[in-house]
This record gives sequence, C-alpha cells and structure tokens, in this order.
Amino acid sequence: MNKILRTWLLTTMLATFFLSQAFAQDRPISGKVSDENAAGLPGANILLKGTTRGANTDAEGAFTLSVPATGTLIISSVGYASKEVTLTASISRIDISLEPDARSLNEVVVTALGIERSAKSLTYATQKIDGKQLTDVRDANFVNTLSGKVAGLVVTQGASGPGSAARVTLRGNRSISGNNNALFVVDGVPIDNTVQGQVGNDFGGVNGSDGASNINPDDIESMNILKGAAASALYGSRAANGVIMITTKKGKAGAVTANINSGVVMENPLILPKFQNTYGQGNGGVSSETAGASWGAPATTYKDNVKDFFRTGVSTNNSFGVSAGSEKVQTYASYTNNYNQGIIPNNSLMRHTMNLRVSSQITKKFSTDAKITYTNQKINNKPRSGEESGAVMNVYKVPRSVDLDKYKEYENANGEPTYWTSSSIYMNPYWTMNKTSDLEKRNRTTVLGSAKYQLTDWLNVQGRISLDRYDDRVSRSWSNRTLLFAGPGGSFEDYTVAISERNLDVIFSGNNNIGKDLALTYNFGAGQTYKRYSQNGAFANGLLVPNKFDLSFAAALNPRADFSEKMLQYVFGTASLSYKDYLTVDFAARNDWSSTLPKPYSYFYPSFGANLILSDALQLPEWISFAKLRGSWAQVGNDTDPYQLKQAYSFSQGGTGGYISRDDTQPAGNLKPEISSSTEFGIDLRTFDGRLGLDVTYYNSNTVNQLLKLKLAAGTGFANQFINAGKINNKGVEISLTAKPLRTDHLTWDMTLNFARNVNKIVKLDPNIKEATLAGGYGRTASPVVTEGGSYGDLVAQTWKRDSLTGQFIISGPDEKGLGAGKPVVADGLHKIGNFNPKFTFGFNNQFSYKSISLSFLIDGRVGGTMTSGTEANFASDGTSEYTTAHRDGSWVLPGVTSKGETNSTAINAETFWTTVSGGRYSWGEFFSYSTTNIRLREVTLGYNIPVSNTFIKNARISFIARNLFFLYRGYAKLDIPGVAKRKLPFDPDVNLGAGNFQGVEYGNLPSTRTIGLNLKLGF
Amino acid sequence: MKMNIKYKKLVIAGLLLGSAGLWQACTSDFEEMNTSKTKLTTLGADELPFLFSRAEQQASYQSGTYQIAQNLFSDLYAQYFATSATYFPTDRYVKRDDWITGHWNPVYTQVVPQLKTLFEQTNPASAEYALANIMWVFSFHRLTDYYGPIPYSAAGIPALSVKYDAQADIYKDFFVRLDAATTALKAKTSEKPYGTFDLIYGGDVNKWIKFANTLRLRLALRISKVDPAEAKKQAEAAYAGGVLENIADDAYMTKNLAGDDANGLSRIAVWNEFRMSASMESVLKGYNDPRIGIYYQPASTTNTFEGLRNGLTPAQLALAKNGNNDNSNVGTRWVTGAGAAWNTNFTTPQNILHSAEAYFLRAEGALNGWAMGGTPKELYEKGITASMAQWGVTGASVTAYIASSAKPVAPGDQQNSPALSDIQIRWDEAASNAVKREQIATQKWIGLYPDGMEAWAEFRRTRYPKLYHVVNSENEDVPASTYIRRIPFILQEIQTNKTAVDDAVKLLGGPDKASTPLWWDKN
Repeated sequence: MNKILRTWLLTTMLATFFLSQAFAQDRPISGKVSDENAAGLPGANILLKGTTRGANTDAEGAFTLSVPATGTLIISSVGYASKEVTLTASISRIDISLEPDARSLNEVVVTALGIERSAKSLTYATQKIDGKQLTDVRDANFVNTLSGKVAGLVVTQGASGPGSAARVTLRGNRSISGNNNALFVVDGVPIDNTVQGQVGNDFGGVNGSDGASNINPDDIESMNILKGAAASALYGSRAANGVIMITTKKGKAGAVTANINSGVVMENPLILPKFQNTYGQGNGGVSSETAGASWGAPATTYKDNVKDFFRTGVSTNNSFGVSAGSEKVQTYASYTNNYNQGIIPNNSLMRHTMNLRVSSQITKKFSTDAKITYTNQKINNKPRSGEESGAVMNVYKVPRSVDLDKYKEYENANGEPTYWTSSSIYMNPYWTMNKTSDLEKRNRTTVLGSAKYQLTDWLNVQGRISLDRYDDRVSRSWSNRTLLFAGPGGSFEDYTVAISERNLDVIFSGNNNIGKDLALTYNFGAGQTYKRYSQNGAFANGLLVPNKFDLSFAAALNPRADFSEKMLQYVFGTASLSYKDYLTVDFAARNDWSSTLPKPYSYFYPSFGANLILSDALQLPEWISFAKLRGSWAQVGNDTDPYQLKQAYSFSQGGTGGYISRDDTQPAGNLKPEISSSTEFGIDLRTFDGRLGLDVTYYNSNTVNQLLKLKLAAGTGFANQFINAGKINNKGVEISLTAKPLRTDHLTWDMTLNFARNVNKIVKLDPNIKEATLAGGYGRTASPVVTEGGSYGDLVAQTWKRDSLTGQFIISGPDEKGLGAGKPVVADGLHKIGNFNPKFTFGFNNQFSYKSISLSFLIDGRVGGTMTSGTEANFASDGTSEYTTAHRDGSWVLPGVTSKGETNSTAINAETFWTTVSGGRYSWGEFFSYSTTNIRLREVTLGYNIPVSNTFIKNARISFIARNLFFLYRGYAKLDIPGVAKRKLPFDPDVNLGAGNFQGVEYGNLPSTRTIGLNLKLGF
Repeated sequence: MKMNIKYKKLVIAGLLLGSAGLWQACTSDFEEMNTSKTKLTTLGADELPFLFSRAEQQASYQSGTYQIAQNLFSDLYAQYFATSATYFPTDRYVKRDDWITGHWNPVYTQVVPQLKTLFEQTNPASAEYALANIMWVFSFHRLTDYYGPIPYSAAGIPALSVKYDAQADIYKDFFVRLDAATTALKAKTSEKPYGTFDLIYGGDVNKWIKFANTLRLRLALRISKVDPAEAKKQAEAAYAGGVLENIADDAYMTKNLAGDDANGLSRIAVWNEFRMSASMESVLKGYNDPRIGIYYQPASTTNTFEGLRNGLTPAQLALAKNGNNDNSNVGTRWVTGAGAAWNTNFTTPQNILHSAEAYFLRAEGALNGWAMGGTPKELYEKGITASMAQWGVTGASVTAYIASSAKPVAPGDQQNSPALSDIQIRWDEAASNAVKREQIATQKWIGLYPDGMEAWAEFRRTRYPKLYHVVNSENEDVPASTYIRRIPFILQEIQTNKTAVDDAVKLLGGPDKASTPLWWDKN
C-alpha cells in the first residue's frame, strides 16, 4: 500500500514538474505594507486575485511573492481596509499603506487541510488566536494557556505537574469510550496527540504525556479554532471534537531577522487546604504516636508542614528564531529551551525544540515547503495523583502534631523507611521523593514536506507528506520496602513507547468565475493516514541485588510488549459557490476507508453550508458596518481502535509456562461506523465602524451509533461488549463580543468577552444497559457516569439518606440494630450529586495600550459543575481539616429524624461524625462535593516596548507576566452540614486526576500554581 | 510552448482516475493489518494446557483479586482476620459493590471461557476433560456459596441476559460432574493431563481422583441438613472412591513472581490492613495450639500473639490494643518483618485442598452414621494429626494436644471479650453429639486456615465454631446481634442482567438481603 502510494505521489509530482516547463515564466515582486502611521504591518496578506497564491508580510511589513506578468494583488490585514493593486509588467516593487477599517473582513484564515479561505466566506464558526498571545504567558504545556481565550473551549489540566497531558474539549463531550479531545493540526497536517495512560480511577497513578504539549508556542504564527463538525469535516473521524489549527512561522525574503524571547517565572501553589492547628495525633481525644489521624488531645501542631513541603518552582524559557531568505528560498530556524521546575522538589521538565523550515519557489509555478522539528524532552518524577502513595497524598496524610522536619531522615540505618504511623499505603513523603523515581525521556521528530504546482491560472495541485515519530523511554524505580509498589529488593520498570504517524495527501485546488457574478472555488483530493503504536520493555518485580535499578538484576521479568497499527484512506471534495461576494454556498464530502472496520471498510459523509453577508446584500443602517448570517449542516464519520472485530486470546506470565485466556470483551464483527451530525447557525455583526462586534453561534449535534464498550452480563463469559449504540446530543450557544471602547492617538482599549453554554443529553444508551461508567468503574468517592436520560458526566456517589416525605436527614436511632445512635445514615445505592461539566464558561479579556506601554488582563470563569474531593474526605476522616475542630466535645446533635420518624436527640462528637461519613479512602461522596463555580484573574501582562536607537536591535519589549493569580469567587460545598460553617471550594477545579474521561473527582491532585515572572523579547 | 488545454485536462483526469483505481487495491491488506500481532486469534491443541493453567489460577483467585474476592469478605466473616484499616467497612457488614465484582467476574470471564474451550476441544472421556470438569465444580461452588442462585447452566453462552439457577440444581450438577470426572480418570491413571501446566498436581491423575472425591465429600456435607439422604449417598460414594488421606497428596497451587501471579495472601499482608482476629486468638491461645506461631506472628510492640474483634469502627480501631503493631500479622510463610515494614514471600504456594479437611468431613459423616471408614473419634484425631503435619508439627506435642482438655480463653483484647466457647480439644465419647460436632467444626475451622471461603460456608451451615458477633454492623439488614448469611446479588448484575436477577430472587426463597439464608443453610 505504502509503496504504491509513494510511487503514485512521486509520479504525480514528477508529472507536475514536467508540466511546469510548459507554462509561462513568472517573476518575483517585493514590497512593504505599512499602517496608517507608516509603521510596517506584520502578518498582512498579499493574495493574487482569483488564485490561492499569496504571501504574508514579515515583522517589518516586508513581503516577496512570485507573480505572473499581469493580474491583481489583494493586500489585506485584520482591521484594515484591503486594497487592490493591478500588476503591470513594469512594477517590481509595491509599497502600500492600509487604512483601518472595521468593515474589512478580507482576512484570510486557514481552514481544514490547510486550505486558505477568506474569513467572511466561511459558513461556520471559527476563532483565531494570534501567536503573540501565546508567547508572553507560558506554561510547560501551552495548551493550558488557551483557557478563557476561545468561546466553548474547556481546558482541564492533568494532576502530574509539568508535562501532564491537558484535556481540551470544544462544544462539550460526545464520546463515552473514546477520546473527547480536539484534534491538533499543524501546518495543515494532524499531529499525533496520543494522550498516554491517564489516571482513570481515584486509586490513582502517574499521568502520561500528550503530544500537543510538544508544540512550541514560539514557532506559532497563528492559531485558528474550528469548533464544529462543519469546519472540521474534511479531517474526518479524528476531527469530530473540533480542530485547533496551528500555522507555524516561515522564513521571509529580505534581510536576516532574528528574535529572542526569554522569560523566567516563579510558581507557587495557588491554594492549599486549610488545616486545623489545635489537635494532635491520636483518636478519641487521646494522643497516640502511632495514630494516622489527628483526633488526639490539643497539642503543638506544625502548621506549615504542607506549605513547606512544596517549593517555589522556577522556570525559564529561552527561544531564538532567525528568518532569512532570497526570492527563491526562505528559511526559518529556531531553537527553544524550556526548563520547568515543579513545586515538588524533584519534579522537573527540560525540553529542547529545534525547528527548521525551508520554503522554496523553485520555478514560478512550483514551490515547496519543508519543515523538520526535533524535540527532546525529559521529565523527572511526575507526581502520582489519586489516593495511592504519591508525594502529595503522603504529605497531606501527616498528622498535625508530627514535626515533618524530623522525617527528612526518611530511612533508618537498615534502609527501612521511617514513619509517623503504620499505614497500609501512606508513607513518609520524603521517602516517596527520594526513594522512588520516574523518568520519562522523549525524542520526537516531525517532518513535513509539501510541494505545490500551479497547473493553470485557476488550478493548482499540492502534495504533502508528514512523518511524526516519537519514542518515550520510561524508567521507574521503587526502593525496597516502598509500600504498594516494591517487590522483594525493590522494583524497576523500563520500557519504550514508540508512536509514529504518517500522513500523505494530494489536493487539487481551483477556482473559476462563472459569468460576472458567480465564483466557484473547489478542492478535491485524496490522502492516507497510517498510525503505529508499539511498546517494549519489562517490569522487574523484585531485584536480586536490592535497589540496583536495572533489568539485569530482576528477580522476575514481566515483559511489556504491545503493538497496534491502523490505516485510513480517504477521498474528499469541496466546492464553494459565491454570488456577488455576499452569498456563499459550500458543499463538502468525504469518504473514508478504515482498516479498523469490517469490509467494505468504507463510510461517506457530506456537509453543506451557506452564508449571506447582509451588509453587502442589503442597504443596512449606517451604524451597522458588517452583518453576516451563516448556517451549516455536517456529518462526521468515525472508525474505531484496531483489533475490535475478532475474538482474541491473550498470553500472560506466571504459573509454570504462562497463561492464555480469552479477552473479556465480546467483539462485534459487524460494527458500523459512527456518525455524528451537527447543525449550526450564526450571526456576525459589527457596528459603529467596528467598535463593537458580536458573533453568536448556536449548534446542535447528535452522535449516534457510537462504538461503545459497554458492560455485559458477565455470565455470558464476557465482562464487556463492543457494540454500536447510543445517541448523545450536545447543543449550545457561543457568544463572542468584541469592543474597542477607547481609540485615541495614544490610548487604546480592546476587550473581548467569550461566553459558551453547552447542554448535553444522553438520549439513548442501549436497550439493556442504561448506565455506563466513564472509565475506571465505580470510584471511592464519586463516579462519573452516563445514564440514559441524564447528561454526560453525571456524578454518582453515596449520599445522606433523607426522609422520602419531609426531606429531613435520617439519623440512626438509639440501639437501632447496633448502628450507634445520632449518626448520619447512608442512603441505599449511589445517587446523582451533580455533573462535572460547567453550565457555562466565559472569558473576559482586556487590552490597554498607551504609547509604549501595554496592559492586558484576562478574567475567566466557569459557572456550575461539581467535583468530589477524595482528599477532603481524607482530611475529614483524619480530623486534619479546619472544619473538624467544631463539636469535638461531643455536643453535636444532628437535626433530623430516625427511620422511625423520631426527632434525633443523641449527641455525637466530630470524630464519630466525620469517620462515619468518610473512611478516608472510601467516603460518602455527597459530603465532599463542591460546586466548581469559580471566577479568577487568569492572566495579567504588563509590557513596555523599550525604545531602541541601536541599529542592531530593532525592537525590544519587556513584560511582567502573571498567570492564575487569584480567585475572585469560589463555589461552596454542595451539602450544608448542620453545625458546620459553609465550606469553600478548597482546590482548583482546573486540575483533574487525569486528562481522560474520568473527570469530576479530585484525589491527591498536585495543587495548581500561580506563576509570576518577566519576559524579554528582542528583535534584530 | 503552450500546452494544449485538452491535453492538460486529460492529464488531470488521468491522475484522478488512476488514484481512484489505486484506492480499491489499497484496502486489500486491511484485514491482515487489523489482526493483532500480540495476541492469538485461533486456538489449537498446543494452547489448551495454557487455558487449563488459567482456569486453575482464576478459580482460586489470583494475586490481584484475592483481596477483594476473599480477604475483604469471607476471611472476615470466617473470623480468621479482622480489619485493622479504618477504611474497609465490609467487616461491619457493608457490601462493597466495587470490590465484589472481583469475586464474580474471574469465574465467568476467566474460568468459564477457558473451560468451555477445553470441553469443546477435548474428548469427554479424556483425562483433560475430567480435570476441566473438576475445576468447573471447584470454581462454581465457591461462587454459589456466596450468593445462592447464580448463572450456571447458561454460563458462557453469549446472550443479552443469562438466567440464574437454583442452588439445589447447581449442587445436583456438581455431583454429576464429579462422578463423571472420577469415573473417567480411573481409566487414565497412567496419563499426565496438561503435564506441568497443571499447577496443582502436575497432571497426577491419582491425586486428582482423591481431590475430586474430597471435593465431593465437602459438597455432600454441605447439603447434609437440607437433603440428608442425598448427602449420605454422595459422601459414601466419595469416600469409597478414595479421598485425600496423606498430606503428600494435599493440593497446593504453584505461585510465580512473574506476572500478576503471586500468592494473594502474601501480597496483601504487607499492607497492614488486617490482623489476627480475637476469635482465632481465643481458640489458639486457649488450646496452646502449636499452629499459632505458624499462622501468625507476634505483635510488634508486645511480642505476643494478639487479635482484635471484627466490626470495629474507625474510632475503635484507633484505640490502643487495636492498632496494627499491637496485633498479629500472618505467619512468616507469607510475610516477614515487623512494625510497618514487611517483606512478602510472593511465591508461597497457595493452600487449595487438604487431607485434614477430608478427615474432619469424614468424622462428621461418621457422626451422622455414614460409612466413612472409621469412628468419629478416630477420624477427628487423624484430622488434627494431619493438619498439624501439614503445618510441620509432629510428634509428642501433637499427642499431647489431642489429649488436652484445654478450652478457648478470653483473648484480653481491647473489647474485653470473653472466651469464644468452652469447647475442649479432647474427644469425650460420652459427650453429646452437639459437643462433638462443635469439636469437629472447631478443629476443621483451625485446619482450613487460611481458606476463609470454605470456613465461612461451613460456619453458616454448622454455626460452629461459636464465633463472636461483630462489634458494630452498618448494615440494617444484618444487625450486630446476627451473622451475615450471604452476599446480595451484585450491582453490576442488576445493571446488566436485571430480569434474570429479578427471577433469581424468587429462586432464593427470601428477599435479596445479606440476612437471607442459602438453600443449604438451615439455621
């Protein structure tokens, strides 16, 4: 297959190259685009009218472009009125200035497959982020910095510190068993964003990395978010969750320019739990040196145990980019170094990114673009999240009267761990930090090559190939006597995960004018995606020479071997017909063949869209500068993971010669592809010369016949079945409001308000199965589920039993079946306590600029949503939380009735109450559930453009930057417990156990951080 | 040189047609590509022994499920251990639906599929088929004795719903299968079915015959109250066929450091989540039993053997005397260490079925008047001797033990519990049958250690030994003054197989509660 396609591609290119000799010679043209103040206008677009040929201006506003003898150039830039220049044979240089104009929307945006289109002709919603918005404020995973900047985009961070995978959803969740993450596309080609091993239950684990975090924000020119299926349908299956399109920087013809971006930030926990500082280690009011809890007598406490365990993380970012080129060849090269310290002392990330891009105009009609990006990343000691023995949970479990300083000596003379108690899973956190390790090294190379040939004035062909390959080498060690993990002598694990993806495609793009008023543009082509995953290595359960961490010392080797591959082939076509530039109708269709489906492997999905620019079509009042209506309907098909169709039998180690067992998921040989359809309508309105803009989108999407792994009655011999089932509906509204309240000569003020509301409904699940858990099964605190009639991510947990008539709390009565009187009674089964998704999200961005000074700040928030905290359940059970000091004397008479209806009069103490509702590891989740409503100051940037008279340094900018500064509002516990003050949300709901579908549960999560720092940018 | 427009169009059309043609050819290797290389998709004769290994391993609960299938339920209800961790409520009779699937799923998804393949691919008269039949019964009797009715006759047949069978019918089939298996095996004594892949006996057919008959004897006594006639018939047939009599024939399961295949008890005993129960302490201390130091280790702080009561609340567990360091962990056969630092012996073979139990079963049968090849006294004393020998205790101390009139003592635990019972070791022919039954059951309870599954089942049938009530119950259906009698149908089944579960409640003969007795439980 692969060979055939390659040959074909080569033939195509050769043929087009050969054909190129037949066409007339083109010539280069260069020039400069400036703004109304005669300053160079970077990023302006120069397009040869009626073609897809064009260029962008560099930082100084300069451009070069190869043009035919005659034609018309359209010069445009966001916020400026576009101009047209008619080419004559004598013109070789064009210097032009643009005037600001809100009516102008000739902005060109990059859409699916890298196809450039005029923004105003789009029939669906997109939102653009300029690369500059991503390089001031930094995060080890740049995806985290998108929060609040795009309506409908929700980012959740994994709880394993720098390098944790991020979960990015657009327009809600739609997949139960699969991925809900948006697709990342760089320069028109999807990049692998495999989110590896996420913590999928509250017992915990170490979160794997994702692929998107390797994208270097310093190389990003711009980013365009395609939110709905209509926008992303051309990417097929993988784009069902929306696409984040990234365009990276290119070299520019002209003088050599260089940029340096250098920053340093400090990180500290944003919020830490509030502890009590009165009572010490013990139980029942009696002190004890072996107790795990702090229900002892009043004692000296160590109030900063937890705070002092974390450090101030210092992170640096240094990036150098250089651009140079002639008319024929342009080069952009960059090197970026990121060093991030985690707030846990041995946790760090080091990343080197090298990028080289060469664009060539080989002949007038033939151009190529090649890019190679190499990333080397090393992550030390990503902390575990969940209840298991991670550093965070271990430090949280320390009783209040234990002087943690004493336990910095984490082992005795025999190499045995020193403890503050004899817990089954919790250890001295300093042992965890010093005697266990986790190292992940990644080498990643991404190569992209494309060649474009202008076949005729109206048709070009482009061929592209991209290869993305990375290896993650993971080495983990646990010293002898590490609870839970260490075999005799210690344990060691060493394995390499290799992931590679290859994309090939060929696209023909053309445009023709049909008569005077009708213009047709179209694209058609074909492509192929091949993806391979392999894993090799071993786990040493026990080391014959204690603590020699190498597989050679293994007492028993358990191999880790895995392999999977899949291929997708596709053909597609789009056509866009516009009438007088104000009415555009789009058609698109794609057919996929996936190796993961049964014969004939094929599925087809179309999309339609239309837009009408009212302001051009009709005479509107003067104050309306631009008005557009758009609507679209699209389908996206989806395949599945490899190897789901046939019954498989797995081999495993053990016994005398190993085991073979049938896999416990019933395969489905007759799977159908999954289809999701969505409809969207939108309006784009700009008034008062663009001072006020409003973009509203309504969407409604249905995902049916999902490829689901659902439980099956185990009596059949299968625990799960793989079937087509379900119908999930997402509908919602996205509003983006932009305003320019101030626009004087020196002072400007721009603001953007993004708002999004998504409503999800599980319309149907399965005729027999009405509820499914979202990974991980039922948890220890709460479990996210999908239930027919409910919505995605409903959380179920154990709850306080209420009287069915009066709603009063049920309290155990005196001598009632030996349960002990005066205590809360748990309701039978699990009950819904909330949903992890926010009801709506918003972001409010403000940018002020006065002469050389600029200030921007972003406030964002999420309203609604619930999270349950296993950490809090532990604090409650241990008597370490601030609120556990009330009623320790035993005077707590809970208002409520016994199951016989008698009013409770039995007093209990705080210890009885809290240990009843929480056993620590397992708890009645309702008591520890919080509204995740929060509003925070997300980002502040204060920048100063340093005036430079030096001819060497062209521009310089220094900025003060801060992220995640503080909460303006935080939600409260969902359950008001009589006798306890309202409890405020004690953790950051942005951070979740992992980036998979198991969301809504906090358990031993690394606290989120506040970052403050300085950034310097220099241009040469 | 201008290209002819026509020609140009032709080239483009050609390219397109060519690519369309290629696409057709390109899916030809899709099926091969979508076939896993790291797994098997067909099974032949070479693979069958691996399947049998798997069924054996899973029928006795492997490392990863041992805790949630056995230790957190039956081991506590048999009062071998008491929970010392504050966060495990099953010791207070709370059912944990998230754990109990660890008991249910391995049988249906790991034992049944492998055995069904063996039934399909071997001759019903073969030794391989017979061994599969025995493991089928072994696995299912541990399952039905938790819940009562379970999916049985329709187990392993793909469907949307799987019906439950009444426990009486399931037991009927057990006897049929064991009879068929032993009959078949008698003709194959020179064969070595599955060879070394038989993790229990390495393919020793003679031992398997004894194993099957001992299992048949166990099941016969289980139904001795509900169906005495059938019990007698089955017990006598089992004895006549030859049961385990020598500790050299005892059944142990090979355990391995590789994979998730460690001894389950060894693996979990380093976690400081359970300790010796006060019940065991009362009996073993009172009897001055030499096995106490084999089953358990002295408490770290006192260097004496100490136990704690079942069903303590988190607050009670925090009291002095109830802590991990104040109570006894399991013996050095499984783990070594002290305080919070323990090392585990992953490869300790797992106890499966022993000759001591066979003697105690025969002793009880003899007391019932069945032909068991000895008097109750002889068999009772042989049972004690076999159990002692099984744990390495022989000679004069055993003789002295058998002759001892020692009785259980007050364990001196934090709850100030009284002695568990006043039953003595020494057999007294003049004593009542009730006393004799208590003696046999008490010694069998000691001898079955650490198999809490069988010990809990036999406690429910005989109500011996006279175990303590739990200190606290948090299950309204099972007040602390009563004993838990079964595990209610599991939530996963209610979610996936509800109509069948609803029908099963009718077969149960009572509400689907932990207080409803099983078919054979006539107490």
